[in-house]
Amino acid sequence: MRCDFCGTVFTEAEARPACTGCPLAGVCKKRKCPRCGYEVLPEPKWVKALKAWGGSIFAGYKANR
Amino acid sequence: MSASQAEVVTYPEPIEKALAQITTLLKGSYGLSPRTVALLLLQDDPEMHDLVKEREGSTYQTIAAIIDRTRETLREPVDEAVPVARQQKIAAIAAAAVTETAPAGAALADRISRLMMNPWTGTPLLLLVLYFGLYKFVGGFGAGTVVDFLESTVFDAHVNPWVNRLVDTYVPWAAIRELLAHDYGIITLGLRYAVAIVLPLVGAFFFVFAIIEDSGYLPRLAMLIDRVFKMIGLSGRAVIPMTLGFGCDTMATLVSRILETRRERIIATLLLALAIPCSAQLGVILALLAGRPAAVLVWAGVIALVFLFVGWLAAQILPDERPTFYMEVPPLRLPRLTNVLIKTYTRMRMYFLEILPLFVLASVLIWLGEMTGLFAALVQAVAPVVRAIGLPDQAAVAFLFGFFRRDYGAAGLYDLYTAGQFDGVQLVVATVTLTLFVPCIAQFIVAIKERGARVAFGMFLFVLVFAFGTGYILNAVLRLLGVSL
Repeated sequence: MRCDFCGTVFTEAEARPACTGCPLAGVCKKRKCPRCGYEVLPEPKWVKALKAWGGSIFAGYKANR
Repeated sequence: MSASQAEVVTYPEPIEKALAQITTLLKGSYGLSPRTVALLLLQDDPEMHDLVKEREGSTYQTIAAIIDRTRETLREPVDEAVPVARQQKIAAIAAAAVTETAPAGAALADRISRLMMNPWTGTPLLLLVLYFGLYKFVGGFGAGTVVDFLESTVFDAHVNPWVNRLVDTYVPWAAIRELLAHDYGIITLGLRYAVAIVLPLVGAFFFVFAIIEDSGYLPRLAMLIDRVFKMIGLSGRAVIPMTLGFGCDTMATLVSRILETRRERIIATLLLALAIPCSAQLGVILALLAGRPAAVLVWAGVIALVFLFVGWLAAQILPDERPTFYMEVPPLRLPRLTNVLIKTYTRMRMYFLEILPLFVLASVLIWLGEMTGLFAALVQAVAPVVRAIGLPDQAAVAFLFGFFRRDYGAAGLYDLYTAGQFDGVQLVVATVTLTLFVPCIAQFIVAIKERGARVAFGMFLFVLVFAFGTGYILNAVLRLLGVSL
């Protein structure tokens, strides 16, 4: 993940602790940048799946060529 | 001169003077150069302070006095002056040692980036972003086109009459009919507010926000307003909670814990509760004021004035701890449409999942209040205050909604406006008062958790009195001047 405020790249595991204690944590899936605290949106599962699917098709196409 | 000496960073004169004095006083062994130890002391490193206190004995008091004197002499905080001096040195070394061929477009991006951070060019650019992004897109397109269609064509013409007919035909109990349909029903009010009014407006706002976010404009905005924020006891870092507040004030209040000093955290929490409208509230307010540029100017001017005045006042009252802000600005880039659309979708989905149950619950509570007569009694109790600020009695309903959820209250105002209950002045007074009005329940709970019950309740009372006080004065001034908006 990349922070939209300070540009720091971090993993979801690194960000999670910043949400401790928030009453909206159940609904909100945002992650907080460990450096500046800005809220970053995670990529929806279907987008990840779509990208993986697109990636595999592209890789197959490249291999065939 | 040796290479290492040539590469020593030269700090502002008061810091260099303090470094020279402290290094002569240090006698203990720290495994670091005396200059480094002195620098850490000046930057308030707690471990180094403990070590020096232990190893230098009574000399520590003299060192502490030098540090205090230096802080008083310096115009900016030591934490800011030190990295700035280091960055200048690094830039000078890099410029002398590296020849860089900038990729095409990098020079232009760099120039635009500088323009965004310069107060003379950055302020008009910010106003352009607000005008086109918020006023034209959220207020014009979001409210004028999308909400109008969903409200008038979908809900008012089709969904609500159909639900009312269905419920009247098949539900024999009047109380359950009122719970599901008609004036305050779960479907006809709760669902309509969520789907037809609030969601399209927050969607439009989230779209603009995603573009701003993806372009890298936010850190530049932080640099631009750092100077103004320092006047109100905050720093550019406070742009993070303040910007997030335009999305959701509850989460922004929680994010305010990233601010350096307790004073900053209290001021930010107060300003978030008072003068930063959440996305839904902002969207509905822009929808209400769309097509009335003078009304928008009065609303924005009053809110900005309140923001600066209350911030300045709080900064004067609270003990002085000067905040520092220093950040590396990431590169400016063209927003990618896929990123913008995914961010907008994700935010809208989260928002809808959060508000729908709450809007349904609000409808149920209002229904209970209606059934027991409590709602009418509360409206009666609030009506004199609402009347005092020049609004019709029916506006009391919107303010009662606002206690539960800010966006629910704003949607209530929208209903009154579309029913032709307000003239221009009343519209501005109502939107200003509701913007400043008390935080929603969730934000209030977070404020208690983060700042303590005493501070949170104090803020709640202050905001309540201040909101209606401002509404009262604004109404009196506009009526006295004979302004029609």
